[in-house]
Amino acid sequence: MNQTSIVVNGLRKRFGPTLALDGMSFTVEPGQVTGFVGPNGAGKSTTMRVVLGLDAPDAGTALVGGRPYRSLPCPLRVVGSLLDAGALQPGRTARNHLLWLAHSQGLTAARVDEVLEQAGLTSVARRRAGGFSLGMRQRLGIAAAMLGDPAVLMLDEPFNGMDPEGIVWIRGFLRALAAEGRAVLLSTHLMSELQDTADHVVLVGRGRVLADRTMPELLARHGSLERAYLELTRDAVEFRAAGSPEASR
Amino acid sequence: MRRALHAEWTKLRTTPGTVLLLLSVVVATVGISILAAAATDCPGGICAVDITKVSLTGVQLGQAVVAVLAVQLIGAEYGTGMIHVSLAAVPRRLTVLAAKALMLTAVVTAAATAGVAGSLVAGRSLLPLTVTDTTVLRAAFGSVLYLILVGLLALGVTTAVRTPATAAGLVLGLLYVFPIVGLAATDPDFRRHLDQIAPMTAGLAIQRTTGLDDLAISPWRGLAVLGAWAAAALLAGGLLIRLRDA
Amino acid sequence: MRAVLHAEWTKLRTVRGWVVALAVAAAAVVGLGLLTGGQGSCGRNGPRSECVLPVGPDGQEVTDHFTFVHRSLTGDGSITVRLNGLTGVLPRKPGLGGPPDSTGPQATEGGTGDGQPGLAPWAKGGLIIKDGTRPGSTYAAIMLTGAHGVRMQHDYVHDRAGPPAPATTPRWLRLTRAGQTITGEESPDGTAWTTVGTVRLPGLPATAQVGTFATSPQFTWILGGGRGVGGAMGGPSEVTATFDNLTGRDTGPDASWSRTEVGGDASPQPEQLGASWRVTGSGDIAPAVSGISGIGTTVSQTLAGTFAGLILVVVVATMTMTAEYRRGMIRTTVAAVPRRGRILLAKATIIGAVTFGLGVLAATVVVVVGGRVLRAHGVYLHPAAPGIEVRLVVGTGLLLAGAAVLALGLGALLRRGLTAVVAGIVVIVLPYLLAMTVLPPEPAKWLLRVTPAAAFAVQQSAVSYPQVDDFPIPVNGYFPLSPWAGLAVLAGWAALVLGLAGFSLRRRDV
Repeated sequence: MNQTSIVVNGLRKRFGPTLALDGMSFTVEPGQVTGFVGPNGAGKSTTMRVVLGLDAPDAGTALVGGRPYRSLPCPLRVVGSLLDAGALQPGRTARNHLLWLAHSQGLTAARVDEVLEQAGLTSVARRRAGGFSLGMRQRLGIAAAMLGDPAVLMLDEPFNGMDPEGIVWIRGFLRALAAEGRAVLLSTHLMSELQDTADHVVLVGRGRVLADRTMPELLARHGSLERAYLELTRDAVEFRAAGSPEASR
Repeated sequence: MRRALHAEWTKLRTTPGTVLLLLSVVVATVGISILAAAATDCPGGICAVDITKVSLTGVQLGQAVVAVLAVQLIGAEYGTGMIHVSLAAVPRRLTVLAAKALMLTAVVTAAATAGVAGSLVAGRSLLPLTVTDTTVLRAAFGSVLYLILVGLLALGVTTAVRTPATAAGLVLGLLYVFPIVGLAATDPDFRRHLDQIAPMTAGLAIQRTTGLDDLAISPWRGLAVLGAWAAAALLAGGLLIRLRDA
Repeated sequence: MRAVLHAEWTKLRTVRGWVVALAVAAAAVVGLGLLTGGQGSCGRNGPRSECVLPVGPDGQEVTDHFTFVHRSLTGDGSITVRLNGLTGVLPRKPGLGGPPDSTGPQATEGGTGDGQPGLAPWAKGGLIIKDGTRPGSTYAAIMLTGAHGVRMQHDYVHDRAGPPAPATTPRWLRLTRAGQTITGEESPDGTAWTTVGTVRLPGLPATAQVGTFATSPQFTWILGGGRGVGGAMGGPSEVTATFDNLTGRDTGPDASWSRTEVGGDASPQPEQLGASWRVTGSGDIAPAVSGISGIGTTVSQTLAGTFAGLILVVVVATMTMTAEYRRGMIRTTVAAVPRRGRILLAKATIIGAVTFGLGVLAATVVVVVGGRVLRAHGVYLHPAAPGIEVRLVVGTGLLLAGAAVLALGLGALLRRGLTAVVAGIVVIVLPYLLAMTVLPPEPAKWLLRVTPAAAFAVQQSAVSYPQVDDFPIPVNGYFPLSPWAGLAVLAGWAALVLGLAGFSLRRRDV
């Protein structure tokens, strides 16, 4: 098995009456951007939380580089992640937020300044993160994910709140990371963005994988990623507005 | 562990308000102590009260500030969701808790020592207090330990309940309600038992230097009772943070 | 406004944690109140051990214990005597806590045998006219006291001051009966007389007992603050009054004297009165009180659980405001109700009303049931008038409501749940605790006058009488402010903080 990838196998997780994960299995290969898509409530975030050891699955395993996340001595050097850009203490400056993270991995302040530069945050590094716009917090989250120079990256909705320039930047940035041989798992609802960025797509619904194909395969079969998504998730959507074309069918 | 400690130290020193809170511990402790000492009369150098305990009255307010510090140490991370980032960075959760406990102990020791020393200096100038007396030193050293243990108790409780406001209510309730119920109890045995198990009353027995025979529990055993409360809270917090989804 | 209130009510009742916490608050008030029941000895040691206090003419419970040298007086008459000063014995002052390594204060329990010379301020000696020697019967008396000069007292609760006079110098006293009217007079020399008071005793029969008496109440040394530091220690005191120059006109046919310890066990002993005689007594003729100078407790004790309930109420009330800030819900709220003052007012109304209701409910249960539990456990419980019980119950509700509104205001002002909760608890509960445990009486009273903790006065049911040294200090159950004034202090703080919060909510961005 490849040492630098995410392997999710048969995850099951129940929250009260809700079955959030129902046999979720897939692999994220290095050297690729893997799109992680599915309707709201399909289990994307829960899968990512299980991979990061934040939630314990009822059954199944999630391995990062062949090991459970919680057994990694310096996990941020293996996996960088962005789950919720708002998850920081508003009173701390951007640089200090990265600084404590760096210290937890035995990294130095010099590395903090590097990733701040990479994310284009050098000019605001000493401003309180609480005052950041959503787009700036996303950049800070990506900087945090890059801190340990990890071989695996896992980003949940990084395009949210980004200005067009930021979106272009992320796209190029992720492509570059994949080209360096890193594994990138990218969860998003923006199909057009994903179509331009991802090499591979894992499409999930109701807690399990509905399709696990390469981008060219999907495009060949359905024409566009958006159409592929709508056709494949037709029966797996939890929430749908009344009167939408899919609901009246 | 060393890295986790380094990270916690960076967090603590870059959280706005930490320095202010630590200063508040000192100011609250010394301030209330001065007020209490100034209000105590010792005609002819003979005091009717335990002047050591009076000189250390401020600990009763200082502990509230220590509790705030301890609660926000982990409560603020739960409040903002940053705990997910912390646990992703250091997946061994007990290590995170232990690092926080050690950091807390370190800073509270510093602030409490300053507060208690200030209180004793004030007590010495306002009351006929001999600060080199062994029992007075025991009371002073014990008061520092008391504040540390209150901090650890608060840390454990907050880790268990996760909501800062609820945790603060629980901790202060635990500290303040026992003695008040004890005041109201008519049954001397019931009152005595209450004084023996109440974290604050038992813990503050360490400040007594006179009338030790009247105490429901001896000074060091009293402090051990508070230690048991703190250990139980940390154990509960440790178990829950380990077993629960973050 | 109705819509805002409805919205806030829905917000409150749909958070399960808050509903549970408020229910637990009510349960804590009841549970802790009943838990403090304790054990007493009343009725525990056979049929004669019931705690029964004499009942005075006005129906209230009284202390009536004194040494009486008396004879009968039928119809009108007058008696004059010279009191040649008072001497007395106090319980020994407890060992003083000087150097820290001393053994510290020790209680001196027991009698006055090992006491020290001294007079209790309300030691009494003088003339009394009384309906027989049964404790609790109607009386009027003119007396010299240990430290309060000459007094005219009747029927236990009534007290009138005469001229100040030292207890050690001779004083002439006279008591005159004319029908149901009793007049007390005093004179420094036996020639120039001053009337101290004229009182009516409607229940006094034609033949009454008249004579000289002496008694001295329980004496307590107050050492510093409450029980946490030095506490109060004491015991019975004793007074000896020396009389001579007796002149009595119009006394009845039965002119022989007896000596009786009223309220004691001994029966009357015949007495041969010489030119000068001494009367030594211990006890008091006064209304019965709870606290260290009296016995038993009051129904207020059952309200001890209020503190636990209060802390929970403070937490919930704070969070109803700060939870809005935590995830930015306040923006939704303000978008729905742009007039921000109304939001605050609606929140205050809802949390105030809910906590008031809970407080009244819990206090009703605990006052009614708690009183029974205390009596069943053999604790003497001073009866409280129905009006006072209603005040305790309503007051507890208002106390919780006031604390809730104050906490809500702090939440809106500080915006952070943690800080606001701690601030709320520290300003309401800590002053009370400090006043009750460590502080000396004066700073303790000051704290309970100016801080929100003043509101606990509304839970006081002990009545303070100036002629009884029951130490009207906080640790003994007496608050420096009257019940409603104390509550007004809390209300003032709540209004102030809520006003500031409203101002800041309007001015600041959300």
